[in-house]
Amino acid sequence: MLSEREVLARVQRLTVTRLRVWVKQGWIRPAAEPEPGFSEADTARAALICDLEDRLGFAEEDVPVLLSLIDQIHGLRSELKGIIEALDELPDDVRATVRLRIAMRNQSL
Amino acid sequence: MAEDPYSVLGVQRSASADDINKAYKKLAKKWHPDLNPGDKAAEETFKQVSAANEILSDLEKRGRYDRGEIDASGQERPQQHYYREYAGGEDGARYRSSAGFEDIGAFSDLFGDVFSRRAGGARGGGGARFSRRGSDAQYRLEIDFLEAVTGAKKRITLPDGGTLDVTLPAGVDDSQVLRLKGKGMPGTGGAEPGDALVEISVRPHPVFKREGSDILVEVPIAFDEAVLGGKVEVPTITGRVFATVPPGANTGQTLRLKGRGIKTRGGSHGDQLVKLTVVMPDLVDAELKSFAEEWRQKHRYDPRRKLKEQA
Repeated sequence: MLSEREVLARVQRLTVTRLRVWVKQGWIRPAAEPEPGFSEADTARAALICDLEDRLGFAEEDVPVLLSLIDQIHGLRSELKGIIEALDELPDDVRATVRLRIAMRNQSL
Repeated sequence: MAEDPYSVLGVQRSASADDINKAYKKLAKKWHPDLNPGDKAAEETFKQVSAANEILSDLEKRGRYDRGEIDASGQERPQQHYYREYAGGEDGARYRSSAGFEDIGAFSDLFGDVFSRRAGGARGGGGARFSRRGSDAQYRLEIDFLEAVTGAKKRITLPDGGTLDVTLPAGVDDSQVLRLKGKGMPGTGGAEPGDALVEISVRPHPVFKREGSDILVEVPIAFDEAVLGGKVEVPTITGRVFATVPPGANTGQTLRLKGRGIKTRGGSHGDQLVKLTVVMPDLVDAELKSFAEEWRQKHRYDPRRKLKEQA
């Protein structure tokens, strides 16, 4: 777990005010237990928000929209990964049927 | 080797600071790794774009680059860890949102359980019924190129000796799957039979190639036809037609025969594309030789000028 100070040292352009506002907004949610502090993911997320605002020029009010979309994509990716891994464990003929079904769906669109 | 920062950002050397900033923001939004979580190449492109901006957004560095005092590589900055590296892992799990697919999975047995469990709800089990829809049967059918283009009726002989009639719609494509409703395995307990799924495999044609709904054909023309133009006979999927070669035609030039392609699902037709190849006569006789020598005296041209410029 990283302290607030450590996170600030790792992310360029991050200030203590910004970080605290983001935590208050719920954009970054540091763990409270077992020990309070920021994880690597929280730190990378702070760097992402800095990028969105500073380098990519998004307005502050755009950030929650973007974060929500990004979180949905990762939710979907994770779910999809689980499904693909589950499919990979099925017998060959079942996988062939699934593949065929997907091909059919794509075609009928 | 780093690339020229101007071409990376796609701006002129004379671009204003504002133009450069706009070009950078546009590319950075497109290529930021966290906005392209599955695309490995995005990170590399984003780095190049950022490095180019590093130089061009700084008046002093830009001047030094323009004068050739520094190269395009700039300095490496400490590597940033992008959020996408963590988002899929255990640590990122609490940020992941399932709000995006409740609608997709709500009615599927497979996903419905997963999502409702996550939402803390329970799914009531339906009453047990011993009937089951028949499973789907899969077949493969190899057909000729022209059968695929015009459509055809085919008969598949099944392993049990039965037959299955398949009507191929015009324009069916390689690896397309046709579904024949109710032609699969019988159901149990009064349930409906499954479907037959027929995967189509199209044998290639020696002359015609297919690209979407267009047909591609390579047609050789004599050098006098290339110079003077004229009508040449060209095979199409519906028979031979005459195509007009414009005077001064060249190898690689493509003529478009409108509506001579494959029928699309919308009912319209694609085009046939005729790619010309200029072919010299088998034998260069004395007359042609002396003509060429005479012609060269006055009209020498260099077809490799562009090649020399480029390499």
